[in-house]
Amino acid sequence: GQGSGSGRPQPLEPALLRFLVCPLSKRPLRYEEATNELINEELGIAYPIIDGIPNMIPEAARTTQKKPPAEGSKQP
Amino acid sequence: VYQVFESVAKKYDVMNDSMTLGIHRVWKDILMHKMNPSPGTLLLDVAGGTGDIAFRFINYVRSARERQLQRKLKHHQNLSWQEISESYQEDKFKSLGDSQVVVCDINKEMLKVGKQKAQHLGYSEGLSWVLGNAEELPFDDDKFDVYTIAFGIRNVTRIDLALQEAYRVLKPGGRFLCLEFSHVSNPLLSRLYDLYSFQVIPVLGEVIAGDWKSYQYLVESIRRFPPQEELKAMIEDAGFLKVDYQNLNSGIVAIHSGFKL
Repeated sequence: GQGSGSGRPQPLEPALLRFLVCPLSKRPLRYEEATNELINEELGIAYPIIDGIPNMIPEAARTTQKKPPAEGSKQP
Repeated sequence: VYQVFESVAKKYDVMNDSMTLGIHRVWKDILMHKMNPSPGTLLLDVAGGTGDIAFRFINYVRSARERQLQRKLKHHQNLSWQEISESYQEDKFKSLGDSQVVVCDINKEMLKVGKQKAQHLGYSEGLSWVLGNAEELPFDDDKFDVYTIAFGIRNVTRIDLALQEAYRVLKPGGRFLCLEFSHVSNPLLSRLYDLYSFQVIPVLGEVIAGDWKSYQYLVESIRRFPPQEELKAMIEDAGFLKVDYQNLNSGIVAIHSGFKL
């Protein structure tokens, strides 16, 4: 592969996804490989995974702002 | 509480050995024997940062699994060598027999130390680490066979919430186990224990970890913690049944147990 060496994020233990939910809503999460985060689509928040350890503290989560599509704009 | 544990994390294990003269290892072994997990058990260890309970669990189910396999082989007396070796191969890949332990702690430093220890000691299979709050667990309902919290519950601000969360994530039939410092009723022993706690432990903290204050906090948090009967009542309030406790060393430490039935 074309990894960037020591900067590669550690993968999440796949078994964990069976148990993990959002601590606030207790609803399932989606693993986003691109940003190495666990996303709660409903609440629009993302929990980071650092060194292979998911940080499931609500204060640490970032909001995933979804921009509403502008009228008549081109597709990106 | 967080900052106490940040500075404490790296020297945690050394301090535990010094403060308790190594006896904390015995307490944790007793906890594991009481749990008596069989292969296939799903354990959630909360506030288990440096992995003591998790590693013991893995060792325990591994040997239980080996005994299981040996018994199986004994029953296969009439098989050919070919058949025996094939059945052994299948089971070889599940040396833990699907047992799993998830370690959840609110402190990043404690988890880092735990993960490093796991690497050094060669633990990888069936072990995961999660940064989370005992009062607001990031786990789905009815998932775990056993929930343990060893020397962690006294650091939780809302113990009632932590107990409710414990109840939520356990499967029906699941077991709650809490190992924690408790109250010594014997007056003489209590005096000696106080002396040791307030005179010796913070000094050890200063000498070994360069941190008097954190260990003073530790000793005070032990004194503030509810005694055996009160904790039992709190556990019952969370919905657990058949709640009981076992004193170790005359109540210096107690193991509380309850079931979600």
